[in-house]
Amino acid sequence: MKRKSLAHAVLRAASLLAPAARRAGWLKEWRSELWYINPDAAARFSLGAFRDALWVRRNQPRRHLESPLSCLAFLAGAASIALLLSICLPAPELPEPAGRLRALDLPFGTFMLSLLFLAGMWAAMRPARYRPRHGRARRAIFLMLKLLLIQPVLLASFLIMLLTGPMPIVPQLLIFGTWGFGLRWILLDQQRRCPVCLRLLTEPVRIGSASETFLEWYGAESACSRGHGLLQAPEISATYAGSRQWLALDASWRDLFPEAAERQ
Amino acid sequence: MADAPRLSHTTAMILQAVAAGHIYGYTVMDRTGLPSGTVYPALRRLEQDRLIQSKWEPPSAATALRPPRKYYRLTRVGETALAASRKRYPLLASLTPAGDVRDS
Repeated sequence: MKRKSLAHAVLRAASLLAPAARRAGWLKEWRSELWYINPDAAARFSLGAFRDALWVRRNQPRRHLESPLSCLAFLAGAASIALLLSICLPAPELPEPAGRLRALDLPFGTFMLSLLFLAGMWAAMRPARYRPRHGRARRAIFLMLKLLLIQPVLLASFLIMLLTGPMPIVPQLLIFGTWGFGLRWILLDQQRRCPVCLRLLTEPVRIGSASETFLEWYGAESACSRGHGLLQAPEISATYAGSRQWLALDASWRDLFPEAAERQ
Repeated sequence: MADAPRLSHTTAMILQAVAAGHIYGYTVMDRTGLPSGTVYPALRRLEQDRLIQSKWEPPSAATALRPPRKYYRLTRVGETALAASRKRYPLLASLTPAGDVRDS
């Protein structure tokens, strides 16, 4: 019995190498096999779990920035590099009447302009009607964190543009373009996430065709990998399908989603 | 017909063992003599390549007393690949004689 408990401990340690989303299912499989193993061979058998867990990790389908944490970690990394770059770069000289910039002018200006852009784009982009009541605060915090973390990146790009000297086109347009691109990405990323778990929606499929516009909506449908629901995005705006709609799925659907089923 | 995938000798042995009726990971290990760190990743790779497919035992009176097991079956693609491997490794069939421990 002691030998089997040692093997179970080895399996538990090896499971840390398996990706978190598949860990429970992976451990269940190995524990089930271990039950049938002769206790004398259990320890040796369980050692193979390390290699298997590594294989599972190496061969898992890659979905970059899928989880909210990985997205924030990526932005934090980019922000750190951008901050370091901003500190190392000399302060840009601007022609009169702007003169030499003060230390806080650029960050403050960047943040205020970001808010302005964000407000404009929020109004311009079609709002998605998929806002369940619970988790609203979490979604707002996630959006604000992304907005804050992208500031150093915008600031660094601003500095680099100013330091590269005279440009063939109006520099402000380039700066605004960079801002617009960064902030648009933040909004689109927010819209592509499950409102419940904030993971990126996956497996987009096209539904219907343009010729069926008067019979049924057509567009794309994406699913939450944890089975929380489906996001239906119509290709064109119609009276019956004007904007994106979130179709929440209850727990009875979870078996259809392997990631959700493994977590149960 | 599409070309059958070329399998290594070890992978072909595992595929042969599954085809011979050793449908559980441990019985494949037992029959081939390969360690668990080789057999289980190989089974996953074979499943990813759609040469075999796995299923969990359905709940039954037997599984109330013991944990359910995952078992493997050859797919049609797997059968084709195994047939090609048998030509490449003629001794393959004798390495894992057909199942005497099949329990389902």
